[in-house]
Amino acid sequence: MKNILLALLVTTGLFGANHVIDQKGKTFIPHSLSVAVGDTITFKNSDPFAHNAYTDDEANEFDIGMQSPGKDVKVTVKGAGTFNVECAIHPNMLLEVNAK
Amino acid sequence: MKYLFLLLLAGSFLHSSDAKYEMGKKIYKATCISCHGVDGTSNTDMKLVVKPRALSKTILTEEQSYQIIKKGARYWGASADMMPSFDSIYAEEELRSIAYYMTKAFSPNAQKRIDDLYAQSDVIPEAKKSKMMKRGKKIYKRNCSWCHGLEAKGDGEASRNPELSIFPYDLTKTLLNEKQMFLYIKYGGIFWGTHKDDMPSWSKKYDDFTIKSIAKYIEDSFRKPDEAK
Repeated sequence: MKNILLALLVTTGLFGANHVIDQKGKTFIPHSLSVAVGDTITFKNSDPFAHNAYTDDEANEFDIGMQSPGKDVKVTVKGAGTFNVECAIHPNMLLEVNAK
Repeated sequence: MKYLFLLLLAGSFLHSSDAKYEMGKKIYKATCISCHGVDGTSNTDMKLVVKPRALSKTILTEEQSYQIIKKGARYWGASADMMPSFDSIYAEEELRSIAYYMTKAFSPNAQKRIDDLYAQSDVIPEAKKSKMMKRGKKIYKRNCSWCHGLEAKGDGEASRNPELSIFPYDLTKTLLNEKQMFLYIKYGGIFWGTHKDDMPSWSKKYDDFTIKSIAKYIEDSFRKPDEAK
């Protein structure tokens, strides 16, 4: 039992928390997020059309490509700082991420 | 005598213009009204996959409207517009009269609206003009190519998604010139008469320099309407 608890603690520490961002109605929900370096963000797409999520932030640069409806994509937060995530297809979508 | 001649000439012009207007109106009421509505707003009971554009908000010149009536929207780059070609149905004079009537009746101030909006946009300084193609290419690839494709043929990755109902234009065939494209990108499709927000307004995301750069990149790299088929 002690070993299981230890393993759980180690696993949690290793992988960090996962945060879910939904893309619905051409909006990131929620539209701001506080995370720790090492955490992951899962992007869901609840809209009936394609989305994308990308950031040009130097420490966290990513581009998930085309995200079809219903598809989930996970990214890992690599660097500290505040950065914006946008959708390349829908210009008014904006997510602010604060990573510590 | 000279005045009488001028009066007759003016009268003849007015008469021929009125006749052209009446001819266009008659054809419009017989053919176009079911989709575009009595007032050109396209608010009708027709249930179409793509609701026709509101002619009252058009960005097109009379000549461009004539070209679309004549050849149909697909010829000029639309991928699923329901606007067919009327070339085999009406004579040249009739086709021109429809465009004339639509412009006079529904969008008499279209050109002024376009000119005013363009005049309000930022003027690009000479020193920055050399940077426009590089900027336009970068942003086109980043944003526009998702729908319009890397070669601007309207075949971007997002357009191939079967769950989508968007119909991006083949920009190699578009009739819109660089100035019109800038205004279309800046204000978006709904502003110019579409009824779906497929082509969004990019004015909140990008400044006029960037949007003019995109339009220039498309104009200089892809647009060849003379070769449209």
